[in-house]
Order: sequence, then C-alpha cells, then structure tokens
Amino acid sequence: MLALLAPAGSPDAIAAALDAGADAVYVGLKGWSRGGARGEVDWAELRAAARRTAAHGAELQVALNTIPPPAERERLLAAVPRLLDLGLRTLIVNDLGILAALRARHPALRLTASIGCGALSAADVAFFRDRGAAAVVLPATLDPAEAAACVAVGGITVEVMCHMVEEYVLLGRCAMPSYVHLKPTALPGGLPDALRQTGSMKRGGVGACFRICQQPWRLEAADGYTAAQRFPARQLSRLAEVPGYLAAGVGVLKLQGRSLPPEALAPLVARYRRAIDAARAGQPVEAAGEPALPVQWTVVGR
Amino acid sequence: MIELSTSLSSLGDLRDSDLGPYDAVYLGNLFCSRYAGNLLERPAELAEAIRIVRGQGKRARLTTYAAVRTGGLATLRRALAAAAAAGAEAVEVHALGVIALAREEAPGLALHVGGFANVYTDLGAAVLRELGVARIAPAAELTLEEAHAMARAAGVPLELVVHGKVPLGISDTCLLLPHEAAWGVRCPDLCRRDVFLRREEWTLKSVGTGVLGGLDLCLLEHLPDLLAAGHRHFRVETLSETPAYRREVGGVYRAALERAAAGDAALDPDWWATLRRHARVGLANGFAFGRSGMEYVAAATPRPVPLA
Repeated sequence: MLALLAPAGSPDAIAAALDAGADAVYVGLKGWSRGGARGEVDWAELRAAARRTAAHGAELQVALNTIPPPAERERLLAAVPRLLDLGLRTLIVNDLGILAALRARHPALRLTASIGCGALSAADVAFFRDRGAAAVVLPATLDPAEAAACVAVGGITVEVMCHMVEEYVLLGRCAMPSYVHLKPTALPGGLPDALRQTGSMKRGGVGACFRICQQPWRLEAADGYTAAQRFPARQLSRLAEVPGYLAAGVGVLKLQGRSLPPEALAPLVARYRRAIDAARAGQPVEAAGEPALPVQWTVVGR
Repeated sequence: MIELSTSLSSLGDLRDSDLGPYDAVYLGNLFCSRYAGNLLERPAELAEAIRIVRGQGKRARLTTYAAVRTGGLATLRRALAAAAAAGAEAVEVHALGVIALAREEAPGLALHVGGFANVYTDLGAAVLRELGVARIAPAAELTLEEAHAMARAAGVPLELVVHGKVPLGISDTCLLLPHEAAWGVRCPDLCRRDVFLRREEWTLKSVGTGVLGGLDLCLLEHLPDLLAAGHRHFRVETLSETPAYRREVGGVYRAALERAAAGDAALDPDWWATLRRHARVGLANGFAFGRSGMEYVAAATPRPVPLA
C-alpha cells in the first residue's frame, strides 16, 4: 500500500491537499517545526485540521522537527499529550534524543525520523528502526533501487520525499546560515529565556534561514583562478519513478512544501495521486512536465 | 590525561606531516571517495598509515564518510576490517548507521561519533552512550555552555575542536567539478587547492563536496576554561590544511594546553603570530558563545603575556 503524504501550512492548504487526494497531511505546529512560521498552524487550526482530516478518512501528522535546547524541551514534550488528545498518532521528529524520549514516554505513538535526521542508507534506516522509529524519510536523490535496499531492512516504513528541492547541502546537514548570522528570537508564546536560534536550520523555526546558499558568491582559488559561483539547487520530481518506488515497497511518497499556497499545492498533490493510482493499476504514469514552482519556496520556504 | 588529535586524508599527507604535537590521528577523507589517495578507499595504504602512526607512538583512528549511501557501505566495511587488523584504536562515525557496521567489522575499536552526526542534545548523547559510544564531537553550532551541559548530563566525554575550519555542510554534489575546464585543474586535484568563496564580508571554504567556514575557529585563549569544565579531548582540524599548518598550529596548541594544565593562562605572542599566519582569512569562535560562527569572542579575563 503506497500512501501519499502531502504538506500543508494553513487551513486552506489542508483542505486543498485532502480534496486533491492526499492520504495523509503533515503540518508544523507553531513554534516547533523547522521551516518557519509561514508554514505552521496554531492549536485552534490544528484542532480543526484534525476534525477535517478525520472526516476525509485521512491522517494528520505533526512535524515537531526543531531541536529545542534543554530549557525548552519539557515544553515540547508536554505538548505531546495534547496532540494525542486530538487523535494524532504520528509525529515527525528531527533529533535522536527527542525520538528516544518520545518513544519512552508514549509507546503507542508512531514516530517518523524526519529527512533532517539524515538517513541515506540501509544501515541508517536500521539504526532509526532500532531506536524506535516507525518510519524514516529518505530524500528523492535515492532512486527506487536504493529505496528497495532500505525497504529490505524491514520493520520500518520507508518514506521517500519524492518531490523536493535538492539543495547543495544535504538536508539536515547545513550550518551555513548560522555561520554568517545568528539571531536569538523569542519563541512564540514561550518562556522569556526560551530563545530560538534563528539562522540555525536545526534549532530555528521562527523565520528564515537567511538564504545563504541563494546568494551570488565569488570563487577564489589560491592560484588566482576566480569565477562567479552559486550553490546549485534544483527541484526534484520523481513522478516518473512512482511505479519503481511502488515496486520497491516504499510505503509513503511525501511531498515537500508546507508554505505552498493552496493553488500550487492542489495540482501537485493531484498529479501524484493520479500517478500512484495508475501505478497501482499497472497503467502508465502520465508524462512528467511538472509545473514550475516559485523559487521563493523552493529553498527556504518548505 | 589531555589528548590532542588531528586528521589527514592520505598516505602522502601522512608522510609529509610531522605529527609531533599530537597524541592521535583520524585517518581518511570524510568528504569524498575521489579525494586523491583517500585512505577510506585503500585498505592496504590505510594499514600502512596505521603502522606509521602507531610507530610514532600515536593512536591511529579511522574516520568514515559524513554521508554514505547503501552502495558505499561495502567500502567502509573493508576499511573497518583493515583498520582493526592493523591495530587502529578507534573509529569515528558521522552517519549513525555506520555504528552497526563498526560493531560487526571491528568490534575492538572504540566508537567515536563525529561532528556531522548532529548530536545537539544530552538526550541524543545518552542514546549513543547506551550504544557503547565512547566519545562524541558535538554539533558545531553548539555553545560551549551547551557542550559542558551535554557532557555532564549524558556522561560521555566530548571531543572539542579547538582550532580549524568549521564544517558547515556536506553535499552529494561537487562544487568544483564544473570549474575543471575553465580553471584547467582536474579532479582529484581540485579540492587539494585552497578555494574560498567570498561575498562581501562573508567567507567560506569549499572542499568540493563540503563547505567549511572561511575563518579558523580559534579557542586558544579559552583553553583554561575548557580544562576547568572537565574536557580533556581536543582536536585541531587540519583535514584541508597543509603539513606546515598541521605541525605549527598543533605545536601552538600542545604548548598552550600544557601551560594551561599547569595553571598558567599566559599566552605567548608567538602563538598568535603563528595562528594568524596560517589563517588565510582570520580567526573566529562565535558558535562557542552563542554568536554567529564568524564572530570572535575574547576571553572574559584577558590572558597575560608570559614574563620574559
């Protein structure tokens, strides 16, 4: 069973994703998700989202994928029972320690090791399975054969972020923004001493990453060679590989883009819905020709 | 027992280097399998390198790739087996799945977890301790206070990078390969050249599939505080540096650590001259103090200059 997991950063986006055929939707909870406030929902919106997804027979997942320092950690962990009360059963986390703590406190909770955990191999997948993750997210840079090797590990659902931006630095492995600028920022509704390190992709969550990799740079070698340099980034779409991922035993195809507006999200979800349904029926997947998405969201607006 | 370690990529790098200031060496290039002479890809040369390091009375350690796909695991298994057979003391893991490989192929090697493993919290460090990890290099973005707290709470010794370029990212894509034709330099020589990326006041260093800070992280004047906090394992990161850098910067830190351990916080002016000469762009340590990585924070109490 190959499921389609769509992003949503607003109530309208949640509705658009469900109407377009998502089996599940993931959202960021305000203050606790990587990617910034533009793609997060508050508690009231989350409650409404839980009702709406349940009515659609779909699942709502929540990304708690920043790494709070110890002073904030208890606030994050204390939020989890409230999520359970809303009927949520799957959380996406970004840190080995948070994964272990939630596994110990909530054995029934389904935990996903986010793409930011950096799993790239069958060995990494086994590592997160053995630490209690029910699912692990791999980047679309892994083709179906590599995904199959990860599926073969067994005992864990393999998800592939099949529509994403491949940035120069691997997701979850970037400290470039904070190297040039780091701005302590108050956590929304948080404690006075609970500051987010805006600029850190791992510990931020309330703003931009300062787009260091989108800037024009000058490459200068010691021997005098110089050239203009931009860090490469490209939009990856694995639409044509959907049958391959299905055959590989991948459990979930995930789309990136919690800050996508509903009008961009809906056709994207619908396209992958059709591809999955066609692959399941043994029919050809429609030709790719992905609509271009705005550059503004592709690198930092996930 | 204070330990100072460093890193190098190839047998050629090793033969050109004076390891006198160091107690231990991490062998192999964690960024790219195509790096010239990368010991991770050459088990026989790795074994020879380990013999050389051990012959100098140093501890030989294997590092592993910062990001490795399933297809690259077999290479790491071979390197692990070769390292164990040649008498390496430890293996440094950045991709956490490699912990299991190390246990299978080289159970006698101590497990160290490297800076690209993203260990940000004491909770994560505690999980790794339960897996038998003996030492952790915390994420570069952490402050020293956070590192101190992690070490206390998790009960795992940390290895702190006290000098060198800060690792900022790892990539599947080589930034330098597209420049081969225009530059007239071919892989694998591209990333052996010093290549900096500049934009206004910002500077990064490219090693092809990795990005480093352009400034040299420098904790020289904070060594007494690190020792007072209980840290004993320090690293001068020289993977992308010259043998002269490895020898001279290491020499400064060896001398400074010995002096600090004796309760003397004085800093020799010659040390600063050496560090500034080797830092092509400048010195920084902002991450250690909750600032951006490019900033430099001086010791709260100015360190004295030794009496003549």
